[in-house]
Amino acid sequence: MSVLIFLIPVTIILGLIGLVAFLWSLKSKQYEDLQGAANRILFEEEIPEEENLQNKGEE
Amino acid sequence: MIKACLHCGLDTERTEEKFCCAGCCAAYKIINKFGFKNYYNLRQIDSKERKMKPQEDERIDIDEFITENENGSYCISLMVQGIHCAACVWLIESILKKQKNVIKARVNLSRKTLFLEWNKSKDAGNELISIISDIGYKILPFDEKIIQEEEKKYGDNILKSLAVAGFGAGNVMLFSIVLWISGPENMGDSTRNLLHFFSALLALPAIIYSSRPFFSSAFKAIKAGYPNMDLAICMAISLSCLVSLLETLRGQTDVYFDSAMMLVFFLLIGRYLDLKARKKAFSVASQFAMLCASFGRVESDDGQVKIIPIKDLEVDMVLVVAVGEKIAADGIIIDGNSEVDASLINGESLPKLVKCQDQVFSGMINLESPLKVKVTKRSKDSLLAQIVTLSEEVEGEKNHYVRMADRFSRFYTPVVHVLAFATFISWCFYFGIGWEAALVNATAVLIITCPCALALAVPIVQTIAISNFIKKGILVKSGQSLERLREVGVVVFDKTGSLTIGKPELLDIILLKDESGEKNIILTGGQRSYYLRLASSLAVKSKHPISIAISKEYQKNYESLESLSVQESRGFGMESEYQDAQIRLGRKDFCEIDREVDLSSYEHGNFISTFMKVGDQEVVFLLSDKLKQDAQNVVSCLKDLGKKVILLSGDSEKAVRDVANKVNISEFYFEQTPLSKVEFLQSLESKVKNNQSILMVGDGLNDAPSLAAADISISFSQGSDISQNIADIVIQGERLEPIISLINSSRKAIWLMKQNLIIALIYNLIAVPFAVIGFVSPLIAALAMSSSSLLVLLNSLRMNQGSHK
Repeated sequence: MSVLIFLIPVTIILGLIGLVAFLWSLKSKQYEDLQGAANRILFEEEIPEEENLQNKGEE
Repeated sequence: MIKACLHCGLDTERTEEKFCCAGCCAAYKIINKFGFKNYYNLRQIDSKERKMKPQEDERIDIDEFITENENGSYCISLMVQGIHCAACVWLIESILKKQKNVIKARVNLSRKTLFLEWNKSKDAGNELISIISDIGYKILPFDEKIIQEEEKKYGDNILKSLAVAGFGAGNVMLFSIVLWISGPENMGDSTRNLLHFFSALLALPAIIYSSRPFFSSAFKAIKAGYPNMDLAICMAISLSCLVSLLETLRGQTDVYFDSAMMLVFFLLIGRYLDLKARKKAFSVASQFAMLCASFGRVESDDGQVKIIPIKDLEVDMVLVVAVGEKIAADGIIIDGNSEVDASLINGESLPKLVKCQDQVFSGMINLESPLKVKVTKRSKDSLLAQIVTLSEEVEGEKNHYVRMADRFSRFYTPVVHVLAFATFISWCFYFGIGWEAALVNATAVLIITCPCALALAVPIVQTIAISNFIKKGILVKSGQSLERLREVGVVVFDKTGSLTIGKPELLDIILLKDESGEKNIILTGGQRSYYLRLASSLAVKSKHPISIAISKEYQKNYESLESLSVQESRGFGMESEYQDAQIRLGRKDFCEIDREVDLSSYEHGNFISTFMKVGDQEVVFLLSDKLKQDAQNVVSCLKDLGKKVILLSGDSEKAVRDVANKVNISEFYFEQTPLSKVEFLQSLESKVKNNQSILMVGDGLNDAPSLAAADISISFSQGSDISQNIADIVIQGERLEPIISLINSSRKAIWLMKQNLIIALIYNLIAVPFAVIGFVSPLIAALAMSSSSLLVLLNSLRMNQGSHK
């Protein structure tokens, strides 16, 4: 049973890490705009140059 | 041919071009220049939203709102009107990030705001912002503090508490399960004590932190002198913690940390759901409208225009009011002629002609041409402010409604406490088992009876009901409205904008004289469409409400218009030439018509008439504020449900009687002022049976005080911002039918809530005797609590049944 002495603190510390991570995400305003965050991943950061040219060609 | 503008999607008359105006063309070029053409493929435009048409003369002074950071950069928060989908977020952010100096640009889609941070100089901000407004978004700076109200803080607190409680509950349960499954034969005393000790170490701080919302609410309840549910919760939590701590220190077996922790966790879930339901109902659009009206554009002596918050407006300042803008303060016109929409102030649907030296009031909307207004009253003394003050006073007087759950707990809480106390006394003195053991039994009673299922039951039903309503375009601002809706006995309607559409619509076209000499012929079929088409060809070029009504009627039925060159004389009419004949559309004197219009064939006379002369043919267009399509149905449906229906309007007797007859309302009152409406409602309140409530349906500013006075109120999304803020429920669109579905759904919701309360009670009736005789171990307490919560949750989900049909 002496293994409990190690295991219990380990579980508590793991749990605490999770808790701190959540509180951090809350504090850094990640829960402010759930609608936007859900859509954001669908867009590319930069449009590749070729696509740009293609678009112009169509015009 | 009318085509949609490539940029804003509005109809354009300029056939040869792809854009409706130079602004849209420029915006299109900007978007292309930065390589974001893809935006047009990605966006999803909602036709109800504001169009993305760039505005002219939109220079906004943002200096006041810029804050300087310590590292030398500047930042500002802006409200952005016109964001409708994620593509807008992407477009705005990407364009701004391509600019030099920009450090951070972040759009919040739910709140429709933009946070912008840049370096170099303060002025650079103006350039950045003008790029956004050039694309067609309307921008307004705001003070971050206005938005971050109490509500948000409270929400964050609940979420933090929920996280801590979840962490605590999860970990304490790890120990508890070990304790439950291993009896004394395979776990030594020292191991058990160690686990108890760790449970206490985790649970106590977590409980102290996460149960703050309950303690502060219970404290308020004690101060106010009546017990609420939170008081019972707090008693159970604190007693079980104390007893468990005592037991742990004494090395005993029965420890309730897990129950207390789970209790807090479940209750917080209930609170969070409750909060989420309320938050959902807060419309960003109305927030924006509120802010919009809170600025006025003031011209200083040197001709510069500055944006000033309304509260800082002083007497004698000169306001510049652009077309389509709200007048920000009461004042006198010193330059310009125009027409104003005064419907918010007096409920009248027709625009009012105003000229130099005329008095205007804040809240009126300028329709025709730019005005300069000299401020005569500070904002806090304005007519608008007076109405708002009246509304606030009335709302303050209203008795605060006792929610169903609170009513329940008022008898429940004392019973539970007496029961627990009796258990303690009888075990301690009658059976003489010692006070520690007696205290454990009493605590078990409190834990078993703690209204956990109850606290979850009501918010879950509310959340489901409210989100179902939102899908149908109905915003229910608080769960309590559902309870009151069920009790509605009297429905009071306002006329303009509530029973009627609130805008003039074309009724008939009358030919004053035809070739055979017959007079006043109501046109039908081909002749009607001929004149309607001709009039629309002119009307389409004007933004006057009557013109819009005419051209709207046309677009409903036909396809193409004559393209004419039209000259508009503001406030009088329009003229053009068609097949060598002169056409005039507008006021009677403008069209040079002397002949009288014979309206004797109409039963009522609530019309606006506008005239047209083509060559020597004289035509009258009769417009009227039509009833909403489903008005008659809804009124008769309400009567079938056994509700009394009353019409209460500020309009003239004739107009009110006419509408009342049409929708079959026998009790109606006319020429009511905002104050007399309130007095009427208050006297009505004393007349109705005491468990019935009064529902007020209205949209104008003049209805705001009576909306506040009624037990429950419904407004419309086209209504004034103030009445939308005051009303408990806001309906989007023109239909009245949602009133019926609201009443029906609220019945169902309340029935489910009652079922939930009964489930919770039955569970208590079974479990309490066991607790009293000292039969409840921590395991049984935890099981009973979870199972009753689960049962209530499943029952609440039945709210979804039938709503998908």
